[in-house]
Formats: sequence, structure tokens, C-alpha cells
Amino acid sequence: MSANAHGPFEALKGLVRRQYFWGIVAIALLLLVNLAKDPGYLAVSVGSSGNLVGNVIDILRAAAPIILISVGMCLVVATRGIDLSVGSVMVVAGAVSMEFLKGAPDTVGSGLAAIGLVVVVSAALGAVNGMLVSVVGLQPFISTLVIMLAGRGLAKVITGGQNTTATNEMFRWTANGHVLGLPAVFLLALLLAVAMGLLVRRSALGLMLEALGMDAKAARLAGVNRRALLFTVYILSGVLAGFAGVFATASVMTVDVSRTGYQLELDAILAVVIGGTSLAGGKFNITGAVIGAILIATLDKTVVFLGVSSSATPAFKAVVIVALCLLQSERVRRAFRKRRSAVAVRPAEREKVAA
Amino acid sequence: MSAKQRLAQVVGIATVGALSLGLTACSGDESGGDDLTTIGFVAVGPEGAWREANETNIQDTFTEEAGYELKYAPATNLDQKSQIDAFTSFVDEGVDVILLSATEATGWEDSLKRAQEAEIPVILLDRGIEPDDTDLYVTRIAPDNIEVSTAVADWAVSAFPDGANYFVLEGPAGVSVVNERNEGFDAVAGAQPSLVKVGAQTANWSTEEAKGVVETVLKSNGNDIQFIFAQNDEMGLGAVQAVQEAGLTPGVDVKIATIDGTKNALTALAAGELSFVAEYNPLFGETALDVVEKVLAGDEVESSIVVPSATFDSPEAAETALPDRKF
Repeated sequence: MSANAHGPFEALKGLVRRQYFWGIVAIALLLLVNLAKDPGYLAVSVGSSGNLVGNVIDILRAAAPIILISVGMCLVVATRGIDLSVGSVMVVAGAVSMEFLKGAPDTVGSGLAAIGLVVVVSAALGAVNGMLVSVVGLQPFISTLVIMLAGRGLAKVITGGQNTTATNEMFRWTANGHVLGLPAVFLLALLLAVAMGLLVRRSALGLMLEALGMDAKAARLAGVNRRALLFTVYILSGVLAGFAGVFATASVMTVDVSRTGYQLELDAILAVVIGGTSLAGGKFNITGAVIGAILIATLDKTVVFLGVSSSATPAFKAVVIVALCLLQSERVRRAFRKRRSAVAVRPAEREKVAA
Repeated sequence: MSAKQRLAQVVGIATVGALSLGLTACSGDESGGDDLTTIGFVAVGPEGAWREANETNIQDTFTEEAGYELKYAPATNLDQKSQIDAFTSFVDEGVDVILLSATEATGWEDSLKRAQEAEIPVILLDRGIEPDDTDLYVTRIAPDNIEVSTAVADWAVSAFPDGANYFVLEGPAGVSVVNERNEGFDAVAGAQPSLVKVGAQTANWSTEEAKGVVETVLKSNGNDIQFIFAQNDEMGLGAVQAVQEAGLTPGVDVKIATIDGTKNALTALAAGELSFVAEYNPLFGETALDVVEKVLAGDEVESSIVVPSATFDSPEAAETALPDRKF
């Protein structure tokens, strides 16, 4: 790795030591595999409308909703919680916005109103999670499972069980538009992720979340307001999932009550873990979660690009993820290190004997 | 704790309410007339536009005016156990006929045997059972997936006399509908050397996923695809958007064919975005009524009845069909 280090060596060393480093390696490997199939894979050209077009751009666009739910999940996991409801919040957000836009005029105003409505509804769902966890004291797993099951039902009630479509140019732009040639949806997701990162790392919020995740009792004795923090975290996760739902439905301007956001909570958990956030709580890494989300999008796109058959797709994804988790596991790494040092030691010994 | 109790209370009240509604509905109907034929309908429940059209049609056919009392029992969350419970209680009640749309194909032998012992004829609607033991039921009424997908392939052969590269958007791997739709399509399209299959990928019946898949497939094939076969309408509509975004014109550069024939798909066909829509006809209440009458009169019926489905191959055909489209 050090051979091609142009920048400061120390910075690179720090990056390698990061857990999400292996996520970056995995993304690079997947891109290489695609490149092997088609040498023009990485090519980005300027399309007819003046926007950048290419496979990489598609990956970024596909990653946007996953980035949002992963960042939310990351914060919840930091408090030793979990939010299984993100996929269902996405479908509720989609259902609410599509139902609203179906009857609204095609103006920027109604597009913004739909997004506002989504923020309110998803914050409310997040608040229910927060209440069940912090006030009632239920296990996060169970509380969010309730919303996960109820959410999809709620979406069905809102749309009357139908897949609803609507037209609104502004709303559609959020997922299909471009800023400076780049997909707006990725920039928006990145912007929200950076904002979250600044919010928790530039204030004491991040430290308090970690304190809560490490030892709730000690945190309380140190004066951390557990209830308010949990409410904040679950509401943030809900709102981020709401935005993810907007992006997912705006892409095709259709909410599919049984498919939108389906099982995406698993993708989010995966992205968070790949990014080096411990599910046991107490430490989190938002950059890592974003990289994990991009990795998952890359994996999804690779499966299609390589033409892996539908029945083999889950197995292919599982193999990649297991390999990655093994690489990250401290025990496996230690075993490797031991073997390497053993190999390194042996010739030295031989020399000694020879001498 | 208090919130948990409150939740339990609300759930309890809701359940009791639903039950009592059901009970009053039943008792009301029974007092309405003793000469009504009772039909128990073990249904799938909310699943999508197709299912809704199908089950509403059945309910609208077996009305009191027609001399029937239909007891509608949709599954809760597509759960087979709730269907078996409903089935068993219909047998215990002693209804005259049971209509069954099974959510799962397997595991029906015991329930069907009980109905047989109680001499209640069972008619399967749409969904078949596994293993397909025709002794256990009277007949299965359903459109034929193989026939419908063969129609798509026949159209593709005639629409591309000079050949084409095509891609298939499938439903979830392993589902019987997907296998049957592949089987019918491949039998015709696979035998045509000028039609080259560049790949197939699942998009899980979803518009959003189909858009993502087609976007990548177009790039991996350098836009050299002339025909996309989407196994349902939703995926076809997603493909339309991906094709448009790639700077191509759907219907001209890439022709897209779908199965189902929902209102949305016919609207897109009328606009020229889709090129062919094969209907998978959900409206077979009339056929079911016919069969029930025959069975009650003691007549013989075929063990499998195929519901005829239409195809739409032009914007004009779609426009004619749109005004009275029910689903």
C-alpha cells in the first residue's frame, strides 16, 4: 500500500487502521471485477442533457437511500439500540407523499409540502419508537419491530392497498435531477450525512451517545439525559428514513406498498457493521456507514452487471459479505499476523543456526 | 407497563369489534332467507391491484340476488394458518360450497380431506395446490400463465422479423408464477435463433428495482437491447423509465412487453411507452358461478378450467379497453 502513497504517509496509515478500510478495498475489488468484464466500466461521459452518465454515477444514485438509513441506524446502534423500522418508515413516507401528490397540482409548492408532510409523519413514527424505548423501557428490537410490522400495514391503509402513482416535477427531481452534472439525490444524501456528522461530532452529542451505549448507568450518573437522547436519536433515524423513502419513491414516482423499502433495514445494519460500528454500542463511525452503504449499492449493481442469475444472487452477496466480515474480524486478523510473523521469524532462526 | 396494557386493550377491542361485525353480518344474512346457498370463500386478501379486482369480482358475482350468501374470509398477512382456520370453520359450519385461493400451494391435504368427508365440494380459484391431487377438489379455475407468456413470445417473434436482443425481468426466483411464465416464453422465444437472450434478472415485481436493473443492463450491453419482457406490469413501467433516462425511446428503440394488463399498463400502452400487454384475466366470477351451479346440480366438470385472457398489441386496442378497465 505504501508504494503508491503520494500524500502524507501517516494519514494513509491511519486510514488502513480504520475498520472501514476493508470496505473501501471491497468496493475497489468489485469495481475491478466489473472492469475485467468490460474495460469501459468506469468510463463517465457527458450525456445528451449535459449530465454525467456512467455506471459509477448509477451506483452513487442507488446508494443515496441506503446512506440515509445507514447514518440513522448508525446513531441508534451507538446507543446500543437497533432500528428495524427504517424500511417501513420508508414505505409510509412514500405512501403519504404519493397520496398527497396524487390530488395536488404539479407545482414546486406541493412537492415541498409533500416532503414537509413526510418529515412530520416519519418524525412521529420515530417518536413512537423513542417513546417505547425510553419511556416504556421496551427492548429496542421489540419496539422497532412493532413499527416495522405496523408501518407496512399503515402504508397499505393510506393507499388502500394499491400501488399509487403521482406526477410532480419537483418531487421527481429529488431522485432524478442533477446538480453540476452529478445526481442530486446523492448530493442531498451526502449533505444530510455530513450535516449529521457535524452535528454529533462537533457537539458533545456524539460523546453522550457513546457514553449511553457503553454504560447507561454510568452515563446517567455523569448527567447524561438518557430519555431526551433516545428520543432525539430515534426521531433522527425516522426522519432520515423518511427522506430515504422520498428518494426511493421519487425515482419512479410510484409507491409499491409491498416492496418499497422492503428488508432495507438489513442493508442498513450491514452497512453500519461494515463501517466499523459495533452492534454492542458505545462506538460509531458515520463515514464508515456511508462507505458501507456505497459498498452495498456497488454489490447490488455488480450482481446485475455481471448477470449473476437471480437464484444465485443472494448467495453471491452473502459470500462477499462473509469474506469482508472475516477480514474485519480482530481474531482472523490476529491469526494472519501471527502466521506472517512466524514465517518472518523462521529464516532468522535458520541464520542463527548457520552462524 | 401501562402502555403495554393499553396496547393490549386496543388490540383486544379491535379484535372483538371485527369479530362481532363478522357475526352480525352472518346472522343478518341468515335471517334474510333460508333458501340462499352458502358459499365459503377462503381468499388471499390485500396483495395488489390484480388480487383486489379478482376478489371484488367474485364477491360481486355471488350476491343475494343471485341466490347466494358469500362468506368472505381473507388471510391475515398472507398467512396460510389463518386460511386453514377459516377453511376448517367453513367445513364445521357446513357451507354448501368452498372457494379457495391458497396463499401457499402445499399443506392442504388434511383440510381438503375433511371437506370431502363432510361432502362439501371445493373449487380452487387462481392458485393451485401441491401435490396436485385432483381427487381432493372439484376443479381449478385460473388463467394459464404458460398460455399468457406464450402469447408474449408469439408477439415478439412477429414484431422482430429481423431478430433482436432481449432481456427478461423476472419475479422473485422460485415462485411458480415465474417458472410458468418463463416456461411458456422460452418454449417459443428460445426456439427462435434470431431472438438472442442477453440475460434475465429478478426485480421482485417492483417498479423501482426494475428501473435500477434495466439502467445497468442497458449500460452493460451498450444499449444494444431491442426488447424487454417484464413478467408483470409494474416492472415493465420501471423499465420504461430506465429506457427513457438512457436517452432511448421506449416503443421505438426498445420495445417492452408486460403481463397482467392493469390500468396503469394500458395507459402506458396507449401512450406508446409499452408495446405489448398480455392480460392475466382476474375477472372470472361468471365462470365460477357457472361451475358452482353445475356442481350443485350434480353435473360433472373438468378438473381444470382455463380463463381466457386478452392481449393488447397497439395503442388503439389499449384505448378501447381503458374506459371499462376494472383493475
